[in-house]
Amino acid sequence: MLPLRRTLLAATLLLSLPLAAQAQAPEDIVKAGKVVIAIDTTVPPYGSLDTQMQPTGMDVELSQLIGKSLGVPVEFVTVTSPGRIPALLTKRVDLVVSIFSITAERALQVDFSNPYGGQATVLLAPKGRKIAGPKDLVGLKVGATRGAIEDIVLTEIVKNNPGITYLRFDDGPSCAQAMLSGQIDAMGGGDYGEIYLRKTASGDEFEQKFVLRPNYFGIGMRKGNPSLLHWVNTLLFTLKNDGTLDRLSMKYRNKPIGDLPPF
Amino acid sequence: MEYQFDFGPVFIHWPDLLRGTWLTIWLTLAATAIGLPIAAILAAIRSYGPRPLRWLVGLYVELIRNTPFLIQLYFVFFAMPGLGLRMTANTAAILAMVVNLVAYAVEIVRAGLEAIPRGQIEAGRALGLGPLRILRHIVLAQALRIVYPALASQFVLQLLGSSLVSAIAAEELTAVANNIMIVTFRNFEVFGVVTAIYLTLSLAFRALLGTVHHRAFRWIG
Amino acid sequence: MLRDFGPNELLYLITAARWTVVLSLLAFAGGGLLGLVIALLRVSPWKPLRLLMIGYIQVMQGTPALMQLFMVYYGIGLFGIRPDPWVSAAYAFTVSSSAFFAEIWRGCIEAIPRGQWESARSLGLSFPLILRLVVLPQAFRIMIAPTIGYAVQIIKGTSLASLIGFTELARAGQVINTITFEPARVFGCVALIYFVLCWPLSYLSQRLETRIARSRGESVSLG
Repeated sequence: MLPLRRTLLAATLLLSLPLAAQAQAPEDIVKAGKVVIAIDTTVPPYGSLDTQMQPTGMDVELSQLIGKSLGVPVEFVTVTSPGRIPALLTKRVDLVVSIFSITAERALQVDFSNPYGGQATVLLAPKGRKIAGPKDLVGLKVGATRGAIEDIVLTEIVKNNPGITYLRFDDGPSCAQAMLSGQIDAMGGGDYGEIYLRKTASGDEFEQKFVLRPNYFGIGMRKGNPSLLHWVNTLLFTLKNDGTLDRLSMKYRNKPIGDLPPF
Repeated sequence: MEYQFDFGPVFIHWPDLLRGTWLTIWLTLAATAIGLPIAAILAAIRSYGPRPLRWLVGLYVELIRNTPFLIQLYFVFFAMPGLGLRMTANTAAILAMVVNLVAYAVEIVRAGLEAIPRGQIEAGRALGLGPLRILRHIVLAQALRIVYPALASQFVLQLLGSSLVSAIAAEELTAVANNIMIVTFRNFEVFGVVTAIYLTLSLAFRALLGTVHHRAFRWIG
Repeated sequence: MLRDFGPNELLYLITAARWTVVLSLLAFAGGGLLGLVIALLRVSPWKPLRLLMIGYIQVMQGTPALMQLFMVYYGIGLFGIRPDPWVSAAYAFTVSSSAFFAEIWRGCIEAIPRGQWESARSLGLSFPLILRLVVLPQAFRIMIAPTIGYAVQIIKGTSLASLIGFTELARAGQVINTITFEPARVFGCVALIYFVLCWPLSYLSQRLETRIARSRGESVSLG
């Protein structure tokens, strides 16, 4: 880090320069010769590493389809969940394809494409525990991934139901690991989380208790790029209609893609 | 890209920042209060104890000092429950901080102990003092003065290092920063403010520990 | 999808360690160069420069390395620069370690008795010449051990890069843990790899320090 004084000086100098906001069109990406896409390799089945230690998962394969359609190679940049919006705003990446749930708050910062997938954010807990709704969480330790949708919903639940011990983790795996280690009694996660946990040694003991909020994933990009946004929506339209999205969903999540309402 | 700096959304969250700052201080103080006596005992063992024990303490010190604190944290929080140890995030954070601090403090205290000439210990023995009284009146009193500056800087390092325990869900200052960042998306401003708080803390503690040093050791020095 | 922690996964961790090594080397070289300049300015006869350097060191040593990394990571892009993830991490660790190197080396430089400075000055030598001919050749000998010792701190410190998603050894451990859920084994191995990287340096540093202390007839102190 620069010392504060120098940072402020640099900030004032640079901000006083008229930096033109340049729109990015698909042609610009083609011209650049590569598309830089943010993924997270710690969120199976959407992003993880295969046995050859290459990125794999539904988001990863969709990203490769984007690259193929543009006719350029994909450069993957791995990000953490809270790092997705900064990755776009700081121009580190062109697109975010990383279980990026569409919310109005996020849409103030970045643009979302139409949904390419959907899932419910749910509460997961051991089978033995009777949890039918938020009230049953009182007295328990509940975990979530910082900044994820479940964090937003659970923060509200925790506020309205005093007595819940709430723990925020920096990433999904840490939260899931805390659950498997018995450090927390319940966790917020995607409904894929149940399938995912079930594949672990002790995962069979966990089940979905109730739905926190239904969600849809969109592809994120910087604001002010209407041409790029339109192109991505067009691509998703074709992938939905030729059955590609459904095939990806069956391959990685073992269930159909379901209804994808556009906006 | 045009970017307008706006610290307003960050300062709205000042009660959270205050709570996070307090937890950062509290975790550091707790870890130090628990860690220092343990370190003193282990240092005595490392200097004067039987060979196998000395070797064990040495192994512990080397293992901890040559691996990152972050990995130690993951180990304590995620792997320990497998051994039947389940604790709150704060307890796990303190435990990991104690484990880490002790390893460094052992070496600091040991250096202090070994700076005391053997002759003084023998003189104490010749005067008929028991080993505990020799340790208290001759060794520790002097060693404390020698090692105080190093321990004081270790304390500040510990304070700054505690920023990592947010990774295991302890809600200290860095965790609060992350929470605010998610609500406001003002990443640069949030971390700027929190960095300034850390700087204030470390300068304040350095000054405080310096004053204590000046007052407490005037009569010896 | 989920699988056991096997040789393949261990191999992945070991390969990821090379990024830890490269990042450490960058921080060591960059931080060393910058640190040397700061250390020299810190002992220079020009007061404003000295004060500036003291301020720099205070700020860098008084704030968590994690915060410095976050500031660079989230801040650099605001200036319209499209940084490689490498740049953020390398830059943050360089700047951070430069302050520590500066303090370590200043201590070594100031260990040279003042009398030598004064006699050199009375011989009409300028500040750079005194440094080059009198002070640095002597200080260099006592600089080696703590410098190697600090290299260990750099290696361990690069683990913070995992928290911004940079895939070095610690992040590789997290990635593998998400597909194996065997934290004891995964993080045990990660810790072991760090130990293998760090311990030889620690050992070398301690040996050198002991030898120098002995040759100067001082008591041995290990930082």
